Amino acid sequence: MQNTATVSKHTISFGLSLALCAVLNAFLVIAKETSQAVASWMQRITGHHWITHVALILIPFALLGWLFARTNRGQGPRMPVHRLTPLVLAGVVAGLLILLGFYIIAD
Amino acid sequence: MKELVLLGHVFCGVACLLATVWLFVDVLNAHEGNLARIRRLSRWAAAFLWLAFLLGGYWDVADYKADKNVILKGPWPFAHNFFMETKEHFVITLLLLATYLPVATSNNLVLNKEARRLVPCVAALVAVLALMAEGHGAIISMGVKVALLAKPN
Repeated sequence: MQNTATVSKHTISFGLSLALCAVLNAFLVIAKETSQAVASWMQRITGHHWITHVALILIPFALLGWLFARTNRGQGPRMPVHRLTPLVLAGVVAGLLILLGFYIIAD
Repeated sequence: MKELVLLGHVFCGVACLLATVWLFVDVLNAHEGNLARIRRLSRWAAAFLWLAFLLGGYWDVADYKADKNVILKGPWPFAHNFFMETKEHFVITLLLLATYLPVATSNNLVLNKEARRLVPCVAALVAVLALMAEGHGAIISMGVKVALLAKPN
C-alpha cells in the first residue's frame, strides 16, 4: 500500500505503456520487414516508413499511458512499483532481443 | 550542414548518456539535498535524447541514402544490414525510456524505496541503449570509410 500510495499514477500507467510499446516496436519491425504490403503502406502514410514507424509507437505510448491512468476511477492501475520494475525491464529486454534476433536471422 | 547535423546528433546522444550516468549515481545516494538535481538531470537527459533523435531522424530521412549505397557496395554491408537497421529501431525504445525518466523521478525518491529502485533500472537501460547507439553509429561510419577506401583509384 505504501508503495502505490507514494508514486504518481502516471509512473505506473506510463511504465506499463513503455513495456508494451517496447515489444510492439519489435513486432512492427517484423511486420514491416516480412510484408511488402505493410512496408508500402507505412511508406505511403508519411512518405518514409521510419517516420510512420516512430508515429505508430509514440502515439500508442501516449495513448496507452493516458488510458491506463484513467482506469480504476481515475486512480490508475493498482500495481505496486516492485512489480512494475521487472515488467519494464522484461518489456525492453524482450523487445531488444526480438529485434536483434530478427536481424541476425534475417541476414 | 550534413556534417553539423550528424555531429549534433552524436553530441546530444553523448550528453544524454553523461546526464543519465550522473543521474544513476545520484539516485543511488538519493536524499533531500539532491532530489531537485535528480529531477533536473532526468529532464536534461530526456531533452538531449529528443534532440539527438530529431537530428538523427532528419539525417536518416534526408541524407543517409547516399551513405547507404556506399556501404552496400563496400566490404562491410552488415554496417547497414544489421547495425543501421537495428539502430533505427531500438532508438525508438530508447526515446520512450528517456521520456519516461522524468515521470519516474517525479516521485519522492527519498521516502519511497521501490520508486528509488525503478529509476536506476530505467537509467541503466537508457545508458546501455545509448552506448549501443554510439557503438552502432561508429560501425556505420566505419562502413562508409572502408567502402570508400576499398574503391579502386
